[in-house]
Amino acid sequence: MEEIKANLIKHIKNSFHTAQEVDFKGNRLDFIVDKQCIPSILTYLKDRLGYIHLSHITCVDWLEDGEFELIYIVWSPEEKIKVFVRTRIDRENPVMPNIDMIWPQAHTYEREFRELFGIQFEGLVAPDEFILEDWDGPPPMRRDFDTAAYTAETFFERPGREDAQDVRETITKRSGEEIPDFAKKYSR
Amino acid sequence: MREKATTLYIGPQHPGITGNMMVRLKVEGDTIVKATTEVGYLHRAFEKLQERRNWLQSFTLMCRFCVPETDPMEESYARAVEAIEGREVPERAKYIRVMVLEMARLASFMLWYGGQNGSLGLYTMGQWSVGDRNYILDLFEELTGGRVYHMYIWPGGVRRDLPEGFKDRALKTMDYLEKRLDDYDELMFENAIFKKRTQGVGVVDKETAIEQGVVGPVLRGCGIKSDIRIDDPYEVYDKLDFIVPTAEGGDIWARALVRRQEARQSIRIIRQVLDQMPDGPVYNKIPNPQKWTLPKGDAYVRTESVRGEIGFYLASDGGNKPRRSHLRGVAYAHGITLLENLLVGENISDVSAIMNSLGVCPPEIER
Repeated sequence: MEEIKANLIKHIKNSFHTAQEVDFKGNRLDFIVDKQCIPSILTYLKDRLGYIHLSHITCVDWLEDGEFELIYIVWSPEEKIKVFVRTRIDRENPVMPNIDMIWPQAHTYEREFRELFGIQFEGLVAPDEFILEDWDGPPPMRRDFDTAAYTAETFFERPGREDAQDVRETITKRSGEEIPDFAKKYSR
Repeated sequence: MREKATTLYIGPQHPGITGNMMVRLKVEGDTIVKATTEVGYLHRAFEKLQERRNWLQSFTLMCRFCVPETDPMEESYARAVEAIEGREVPERAKYIRVMVLEMARLASFMLWYGGQNGSLGLYTMGQWSVGDRNYILDLFEELTGGRVYHMYIWPGGVRRDLPEGFKDRALKTMDYLEKRLDDYDELMFENAIFKKRTQGVGVVDKETAIEQGVVGPVLRGCGIKSDIRIDDPYEVYDKLDFIVPTAEGGDIWARALVRRQEARQSIRIIRQVLDQMPDGPVYNKIPNPQKWTLPKGDAYVRTESVRGEIGFYLASDGGNKPRRSHLRGVAYAHGITLLENLLVGENISDVSAIMNSLGVCPPEIER
């Protein structure tokens, strides 16, 4: 395992000088790269090193740093190593290279991130809507989108069921029935 | 004479669809010339909700990602939290987890038997297998208190130890189910209708499978031996003896053959686990959930569900809530890009059978 990892680091470092590696216990190895390198490093991993399976792509919003982090996780059935290729992009102008020509399934992830995080993928051809319908608000998976405030503004509670109201008391008022003793301890 | 193309909508409410999604078909006669999927009918924003809940509260949402298979999600979450925190899990808990996962697989196989046959109009199978599934759900109810949502495999181990006499009852159920699988074989695999409707339908070739990120029985149905339990073993799968069946052809029939053998392997694993299970504690207690914080870091874990690899990414910023939780379900790879390509050239009546064989579970796509 360690030998395979060392070999992999050597290969990647030779071709991508700016890549920084972070070694983890077990079969995980991380590379931190610039966003321009993403298509080439993934192609290299897939075509030259046998990392043929795109296991996952994920996006993390680091609001306090003003950045989005995109993580591409690829797997080699031969070497049995999970490689994480990580990059950070500016949150104000989030543009990423498109990789759906390398793995067609990346198309779905990119559609999702475009809609839920507002990240633009250069050259992505896909219908505008994926999960949301007629949505013109800010991308909802961003950390600064306040779900609770949006819900309070958009929807209304049924009378007597507003937040932080005791349902038992409301029922008691409505029906005139007493709360049984065993249930009193649960009252707010 | 060239026939005019018509647009046909299947779903989101349709008995042939595997959940709340829509497939828009452009058809010429009975043949599909273009398929477009539309999801979003079941978006519950679980991942967003998890960012507002503490580590234990987030866990209760995990099982709700996909109803037919709840345990692989719980196990993924538990293992991801343990990986970030470095929390040890007692050996006995690992065995119990494997038992629960395999029981969940069996229950899910039973649903698949019903769904796959139902999609072809063969309803007897569904009545048998969903009936037999109840025996597994009975075991779950006894063990966890819930039949479908268990919330049993949580960070640090499992919620409670096996009840008294559980082993015998589980073994008895396994004996019964093993006998029933023979009946299923006769009803399903010796049925001329099933053969005719599945052989050569929905064919995925090896290259496409690798290119499209296909996993699980669909990949093994193309003759590629791949199983997370063997390739990237977790819990105690590396100590157990089981085989990974494969089949050639890549059609619905090949996938059915793979699943047929896998159900038997699950029974075999449950027997081994019950036999080898050591004594000891089942839970490494977590701190007060309100004050429980995880160190900064992230983890990506994978679990082999009935339909294939489920990946789960979890990131912590050092606080008491997840920074990011992101599930990669099987349907995410199978349900959109693969399905859209696969349906072209197929018959309208096979859409449902193909979706069932791919294991498309729409709630996983939009989460």
